[in-house]
Amino acid sequence: MTPTPTQPAPLPAPDFRLDMRGEPCPYPAVATLEALPQLAPGQVLEVVTDCPQSINSIPVDAKNHGYEVLEVVQDGPTIRYLIRR
Amino acid sequence: MNWLTFKQRFLITFWPPVPAIIAAGVLAAYYFGITGTFWAVTGEFTRWGGHLLQFAGYHPETWTYFKLMHFEGTPLERVDGMMILGMFAGCFAAALWANNVKLRLPQHPIRIAQALVGGIIAGFGARLAMGCNLAAFFTGIPQFSLHAWFFALATAVGTWFGARFTLLPLFRVPLKLQKVSAPTPLQQDPRQAARRFRLGMVVFLAFLAWAGSKVGATPKLGLAALFGLAFGLIIERAQVCFTSAFRDLWITGRTQMAKAILLGMAVSVIGVFSYVQLGVAPKIMWAGPNAVLGGLLFGFGIVLAGGCETGWMYRAVEGQVHYWWVGLGNVIGSTLLAIYWDELTPLLVTPYAKVNLLETFGPAGGLLVTYLLLAVALVAVLWWEKHFFARKAAQEAL
Repeated sequence: MTPTPTQPAPLPAPDFRLDMRGEPCPYPAVATLEALPQLAPGQVLEVVTDCPQSINSIPVDAKNHGYEVLEVVQDGPTIRYLIRR
Repeated sequence: MNWLTFKQRFLITFWPPVPAIIAAGVLAAYYFGITGTFWAVTGEFTRWGGHLLQFAGYHPETWTYFKLMHFEGTPLERVDGMMILGMFAGCFAAALWANNVKLRLPQHPIRIAQALVGGIIAGFGARLAMGCNLAAFFTGIPQFSLHAWFFALATAVGTWFGARFTLLPLFRVPLKLQKVSAPTPLQQDPRQAARRFRLGMVVFLAFLAWAGSKVGATPKLGLAALFGLAFGLIIERAQVCFTSAFRDLWITGRTQMAKAILLGMAVSVIGVFSYVQLGVAPKIMWAGPNAVLGGLLFGFGIVLAGGCETGWMYRAVEGQVHYWWVGLGNVIGSTLLAIYWDELTPLLVTPYAKVNLLETFGPAGGLLVTYLLLAVALVAVLWWEKHFFARKAAQEAL
């Protein structure tokens, strides 16, 4: 669990969830990049994965492809990403 | 910084990969100076295959390839064997610290098939080229061995084909987006996390003490085990993935891992150079078609499998069952290569020279050529990143 610093505004709730638990690399990152364009601009996607290596792929890829990474939470073997289209 | 902050920041939260890989490059150079060999894993996996063959009643110790690999003694009597034990201990301790050990079962039968087949192809290719992402790339290029450059380029090509293949519909699971209104609740049990952390500390300290106790009588073996421990901690904590360094250039245009590895090699090169100047012999392998063919197979195999010879090690101890199959595939693939070595060598390997760039161009020239090639590789990666996103923008504008 990563301590989240106190933020001025609370994080928006996700609109959609992509559950990739059990899937190895590169599929969680690829699916994330395929899912995000299906959202309306401003909507938030939650990606849940237990592929630890996604820590180096999903946040960087999302940012490179023009999305906003709102939060990365490392919760034991599970990692949760909040990404805004 | 108090203990809790330190623990959270360095023992639980993942490390950024760039400084971690640079640290691995520095350590790899010292490792060479101390043990006289490079940081490598596949050679030892091949010897494990040899032990399995012996167990089944065969005599691999009489085979050419196993003689070439110095198949002698037990893993506890070999530098590579002790180093790998250290890597497993380091990976396991690091995964336990972060409560990152969980039995993750493959969700689809196709994953098991691709892990095993990819692992076999990668293991075969790596041994054909005399090294994997380490000995024929990350620690091979700093040895000034031309074969590592052949292997690296071929691996890049192989991973491109691997990336195309691995994204075929056969391997894809339909995308399922659920409409939700709240985030997934955190599920980690704090008591389990605390127990796992303590267990990780026990593994770490016990191995440290055991390896430390070996340093007095057998300095090389003891130090190799300690270096292995450090390598293991680094690759798990930073999730260092050589497969993704190549593959994700093609799939998502991400270059971070590739750049980090190039920087890591750049710091390693000068360190290895200093030892070679003091008289340590670099490890040079045949720069023949075997390096090219091996790289192509290896690149394809690691992408299909989802991890390379170092990648499966930390993922396997994290409980990712997928990578147990990859590891098994690697041992099978390298053993297959050992079986067919005598037929392959006259054609692909032995007619070709072992080219040491420090001899071809002289010490200063070889060093300069290596840094120039690394700079060219870095420029190529930067160019590719630009090209990838320019193409994507053009497609979206249509």
